[in-house]
Amino acid sequence: MYRKRLLAVVLLGALGVSACGANDQKPSGGTAKAEKGGTLRILSESRTINFDPAKSQSLAIATLGLVHRRLTGWQNAVGQPVKVVPDLADTGKTTDNGRTWTFTLQDGLKFSDGTPITSADVKWGVERSFAPAFGGGLGYHKALLVGGSDYKGPFEGKELDSIETPDPKTITFKLSRPYGDWPWVASTPAFAPVPKGKGAEADYAEHAVASGPYQIAGYQKGVEAKLSRNTHWEAAKDQVRAGLPDEVVIQLGQDASVVSQRLAADSGDDKFAFGSSFVSPAQLAQLQANPSAKSRVVTSKSGAVSYLALNTQKAPLDNVKVRQAFQYAVNKAAYQVASAGTAALAGDTASTLITQGIEGREQFDLYPAKPEGDPDKAKQLLAEAGLPNGLDNLQLVLNKSNNQTDKAEAIQAALAKANIKVNIRSLEEDAYETETNLSANPTYDITLSSWQPDFPSANANIQPLFASSEIGNGGYNLSRYSNPEVDKLIEEAQSTVDPAEAGKKWAAIDKRILQDSPVVPLIYTRNSFIHGSKVGDFFIADFPAYPNYLQVGLTK
Amino acid sequence: MPAAIRSVLARDRWALAGTVTVVVIGLVAIFADVLTAIEGHDPYTYDASALDPASGLPAGPFGGVSGEHWFGVEPLTGRDLFAIVVHGARTSFLIGLAATLVSIGLGVLIGAAAGYLGGWIDRVIVWSADVFLGFPYLVFMIALGAVVPVEFPRALLLIVVIGFFGWPATARIVRAQVLTLKERNFVKAARTLGASPWEVFRAELLPNLWGPVLVMATLSVPGKVGLEAALSFLGVGVLPPTPSWGRSISAAIEWVAVDPAFLLFPGLALFGVTWGFNALGDGLRDALDPKWGRKR
Amino acid sequence: MISLRYAATRVGSMALVLLIVAFCTFVVFYLVPSDPALMACGKPCTPENLALAREFMGFDEPWWQQFLTFLGGIFTGRTFGSGATAIHCAAPCFGYSFRQNADVLDLIGDRLPVTVSLAVGAAVLWVVLGVGAGVLAALRKDSWFDRVALGASVIGVSAPVYLVGLLGILVLGFKLDVVPVGNYTPFGEDPVRWAWGLVLPWCVLAFAHGAHYVKLTRTQMIDTMGEDFIRTARAKGVAERTVVGKHALRNVLLPVVTLTGLDLGSLLGGAVITERVFSLPGLGGLLIEAVHGRDLPTLLGCTLFAGFLVVVANAVVDLSYGVLDPRARLT
Repeated sequence: MYRKRLLAVVLLGALGVSACGANDQKPSGGTAKAEKGGTLRILSESRTINFDPAKSQSLAIATLGLVHRRLTGWQNAVGQPVKVVPDLADTGKTTDNGRTWTFTLQDGLKFSDGTPITSADVKWGVERSFAPAFGGGLGYHKALLVGGSDYKGPFEGKELDSIETPDPKTITFKLSRPYGDWPWVASTPAFAPVPKGKGAEADYAEHAVASGPYQIAGYQKGVEAKLSRNTHWEAAKDQVRAGLPDEVVIQLGQDASVVSQRLAADSGDDKFAFGSSFVSPAQLAQLQANPSAKSRVVTSKSGAVSYLALNTQKAPLDNVKVRQAFQYAVNKAAYQVASAGTAALAGDTASTLITQGIEGREQFDLYPAKPEGDPDKAKQLLAEAGLPNGLDNLQLVLNKSNNQTDKAEAIQAALAKANIKVNIRSLEEDAYETETNLSANPTYDITLSSWQPDFPSANANIQPLFASSEIGNGGYNLSRYSNPEVDKLIEEAQSTVDPAEAGKKWAAIDKRILQDSPVVPLIYTRNSFIHGSKVGDFFIADFPAYPNYLQVGLTK
Repeated sequence: MPAAIRSVLARDRWALAGTVTVVVIGLVAIFADVLTAIEGHDPYTYDASALDPASGLPAGPFGGVSGEHWFGVEPLTGRDLFAIVVHGARTSFLIGLAATLVSIGLGVLIGAAAGYLGGWIDRVIVWSADVFLGFPYLVFMIALGAVVPVEFPRALLLIVVIGFFGWPATARIVRAQVLTLKERNFVKAARTLGASPWEVFRAELLPNLWGPVLVMATLSVPGKVGLEAALSFLGVGVLPPTPSWGRSISAAIEWVAVDPAFLLFPGLALFGVTWGFNALGDGLRDALDPKWGRKR
Repeated sequence: MISLRYAATRVGSMALVLLIVAFCTFVVFYLVPSDPALMACGKPCTPENLALAREFMGFDEPWWQQFLTFLGGIFTGRTFGSGATAIHCAAPCFGYSFRQNADVLDLIGDRLPVTVSLAVGAAVLWVVLGVGAGVLAALRKDSWFDRVALGASVIGVSAPVYLVGLLGILVLGFKLDVVPVGNYTPFGEDPVRWAWGLVLPWCVLAFAHGAHYVKLTRTQMIDTMGEDFIRTARAKGVAERTVVGKHALRNVLLPVVTLTGLDLGSLLGGAVITERVFSLPGLGGLLIEAVHGRDLPTLLGCTLFAGFLVVVANAVVDLSYGVLDPRARLT
């Protein structure tokens, strides 16, 4: 779930991996086959990079994955659905329908310092994520593990009893309720092993012990991080990582447009580099004129769902007809142009809550209209709701970062055509989060937001955004949608262990929620990235809309 | 007063050019609505038909300049650039002028008080000026932008804050002037005759201050306009969709390689206002400020 | 020359100024409705996690108490959290940045050389060029050089730094590839590359700031050259070069020094926009990152440091008045 591109870039450490495939279905430019060796360079806008798994919100295929392995991993390739696959362990077994999960680690796994990786180290890593000193990472496991809400980490000598390690190869998790997606949760950063007893220092991130193909060779604050080969990692035991380059250098603090221009120029070491930030529409327009550079731009097939959240608890938006009017009032075509210049680069218009590339997703459109919208129908619906003069003085709150302002202005202009007048109020990131996530009585009527799940499950698309438990209190239910019927359906679907069955349930919930129209899905945001000419195996799978850092290598 | 100004303009070509520029842009700011009505566009309407569907760039050469869109259009939105520049003049120009008035007004009063009344009042004021100089107004502005409710007119907030942070510079100079004037005979006479400080200020000090104050005012307008543009550049100026040169420049920088017109028009406009006031102010200073004007 | 009493009063006054600046920054920061503990809260951010994060970072105390703790930390150092995971910040502790995992003082120390390189280099350039052009313009009054210098100076004062800078990067950095873009090389690593990378920012800053000096110097020079003592010196047969170089320049230097001191002081505090435009990892960049990242400790540290520099610059300028201008005395 990304609220902002920068959040994705910075916090997730997910430096975009541009897919070799372009916006249409055929792969353009070709994916050159990469070979072993060489120094890969990643140019990052962020000033910091975090290698502490407890503090990370990174995607499984991003930079953190180069250094840290997890219990499970993601099958991530072009044209294939994303599936959970074994990484350090298998994909987990449950005998009591999802309440208890057992994982068996492979034999002969070693840390970068030569010591063996055991289940106790995985347990220590998970426990460590509960310590307040190391908060800030993905914490889906925290509320699910029995005793997790009261646990404050292992550094005071207390253990989390719901994680059992009967032998060095087996680890069992006891959950407070049945949860079918636990294998996905086991792929989140907190499930990276940390040598038992270690990792108490605040700067562990700068010298973390590695389990992946690379270890941290050097870290210069604000300048660069160097990763060198972890000789104790075995490719045969790792199906999600290629480990091709000998060295990976991440250069920090690079201005995004400078990066674009350097990579387009493709001289010197930039041939072996790619940019972690998205290529902005302005840069994309420039690159169109440069055929060599254009062929090295990779655009994802799909991505985060961009949506307009309507505050269902505030009049007049508490009236479902009024909310449905918004579905027709928005101009998705103009939004596409405002995002990236063209519909092809911006992404397809969206009409479902579950993002593309997630298994079990069904395509439907409850409110069919032209991409330019249907302001007349919107006006008609408003009149039916008793508001023939439209709406005035609605407050649209948005997060300042990530060029949201331009897109919001496009929305504002479109809504005005349907007699809905909106005032834009842009806030800094933290102020925005406080207003939308934490506040009990917020003042906003509408907000523009974006969401890509942290792991590829419809559960992660729907529950955080539409369960009533996620209103305020740090949750992302920005539309403040509260429907007990839907809450029950969500709980049922979450407890279903069989993925196919669960998929069907989620698709039904998707439709059900959209009938109440708490949000207006806009587009599935495509992201574009650019790489140097000697970078190979650079692709973006159907999910997530980021390149796969674990497979990238260099060509000769 | 006007005679001195007229003679400056007659003698100094640069000052004259500056004045003309400033007056023209001022008129544009005042008659923004009329001008855009003549052209037929406003700065808010999105116009996808003016864009190249393959890239989002303006269709047509030089940023889409045509009889329809006199300065071309903005990429990705198709909004008319002429209307944006013209309405942006209103924002930047008027905010700059108003903020200058605020800071000059405050500065004159506070500086005169410090210089004339002396004693602990003077010490406190001088010390406060130091505090203001050391204050991170940029940080303050950014934070204030987040705190103030959106209903509060943003332009007014900018005028007040930018103006308020400008008083130390003026006050310092006015204080120095007043300190010299205080010792002059006609002021001493007025005091002996029992005039109150306010009357002395109004009748004796102010008439002798207007010269340097006018020069300072003219020379500080560009700084205020520039500051508003810089704040908009950093994203904490007037709220969108109100046009602002600073915000347009900030967006246009990225497009300069493929659409230089987008940067050119607002950039030239901003430069024009800044340069105009500077040229005019320089000319005035040469003529009016007794210290400078003696040996030109 | 300077009495102890004056020095003590001055230092006391400076400290008070800094205290007020810190206090105001604190107040403004806390007026903004946002929670700085959010960054350490995780996702999903439950109220319990948020409370734990707040407690660890010291944000659970009322803001005035946090202010006092901050002040105390400057003298005694601070510890965040407890037990094995406690973070120690040695005295003088200007705060600890959780976002960057470092003492604020260390962060400032890392970035200071960049800002100093930028500011001092630009200052040298603009003083030399600005004063030089101004002196020459005065000596060749009304010549073409004079007119060009004046014209250029008005342009320099008017054109926004960020605009000139960005255009410079585009033309010289990318199109012509004359200067390296977007990277700062420390002086110790490679002096040549260090200088080359800074040439463009130096020139841009020098153009913008030097413009003020041209006019100032020119007018001062013209005034001074008309003074009696100059005529006397000439009548005595002193060489023109000495007349200009020794006698006239000393008078001119006074306002120049004042302005340089103040300009340098504010630049050293972090030329926010310039550093951002040229992607230089200096104090200005640190400040902006701290504002956007809601990193109060770093924000406070940077603000105080910048304020400190401005205040010191003012004091130094006042002192130098005493040296350069016998008429002014500080007691």
